[in-house]
Amino acid sequence: MDERRSDLKKIIMDTKTLPTLPGVINKLNSLSNDDKSSVQEMARIVSADQVLSARILRLANSPSYGFYRVSTISNAMILLGVNVVKSLALSSSIFEIMEKNSVGLWEHSLGTATAAGIIARKLALPEVEEITTAGLLHDIGKVIIGLKCAEQMPEIRSRIKLDELYISDAERAVLDTDHAEVGGWLSKSWFLPDKLSEPIAYHHNVAGSEDHRIKTSVVHLADVLIKASGFGDSGDSYVPPIQQLAWDLLKLDESLLQEIVVELEDKLVEVKNFSLELASAAVA
Amino acid sequence: MQKIPLNLAAAEMVLARDIFKNDSPTGMPICGKGTELSDSLISRLQQMGVQSLYVEGHPVWQEGDRGLTEQLADLEKRFSKTMDNRYNTTLLEVYRTHFTAAMGDDGGRTEE
Repeated sequence: MDERRSDLKKIIMDTKTLPTLPGVINKLNSLSNDDKSSVQEMARIVSADQVLSARILRLANSPSYGFYRVSTISNAMILLGVNVVKSLALSSSIFEIMEKNSVGLWEHSLGTATAAGIIARKLALPEVEEITTAGLLHDIGKVIIGLKCAEQMPEIRSRIKLDELYISDAERAVLDTDHAEVGGWLSKSWFLPDKLSEPIAYHHNVAGSEDHRIKTSVVHLADVLIKASGFGDSGDSYVPPIQQLAWDLLKLDESLLQEIVVELEDKLVEVKNFSLELASAAVA
Repeated sequence: MQKIPLNLAAAEMVLARDIFKNDSPTGMPICGKGTELSDSLISRLQQMGVQSLYVEGHPVWQEGDRGLTEQLADLEKRFSKTMDNRYNTTLLEVYRTHFTAAMGDDGGRTEE
């Protein structure tokens, strides 16, 4: 079992076979490590790639972030932050795969991003855009498992259905790892900042997060809310248990939850609209 | 009252809330509550970038769209694995109240 897990890890960490855009990303990485480089400089590099720019702008204008009419990459960098734009650039190929092959998971991700943003704003947390992005990315591990373990997918799916398992339990039974761990490996190999990689890796186990428990709790709760709402399709249809640690850290109570749910359900209509528009644009 | 994306709006539906410019309550009102929609009005709204609107009743039944009784049954099924978690039962109650209120007074599917 252990061998299979480390094999899988090796395959996943092999960035050459991952669907990314290395050229632009390497340039961005080297620039963002250099304090002297300006937002404008970075924006110019991203803007040079038209497809990439279009994808980033489309996401920046999605209801999940709540900004409308972000029309240039440098605006997006100022509004969303360099980290977020870089993460969106890195994962835009993953999003493309989701949009094409698993609309349900894409909707689940957009929904979770929206929920995470609403929770973060309601609690007046800093770095709302980062938290939203962590919500958007929290299930990237599922896409990677779908790509790299296509042979085992039917078994995972049938276990979920026949044994009424959560997808994580089915993944662990078949692969000896799960999408959260795989997402964590991937975000490490992409050098995503900890404030994004911890919520991705520990959205089912908040205690595992060392430095970003609040952000991880928000993404954990956002995932739970979207599954409770029945929005999108994350692989199984069971609401995960809300962890006590997350509940305590976010100081939740029934009336706060109520406010969040009302706002979220209202916003989800727009998210659905956004995803329908994307789908019809893909057909056209 | 139902909130629908603009691309599902149709003539003869009646607005249940005002529509504001840029979907912002501080924006300029474009169209008042009680207005009956027409095809030309809908295309005007499209041009103005309106994303969604509230209409009276529950006029849009999409595939997979379910009446209140079915919605509540689905909701309970989704929570079936976590009924022993008190935070989850609190959340279930919040959602149950929300769905019931959102479907309006007719309490579910009245027409197909």
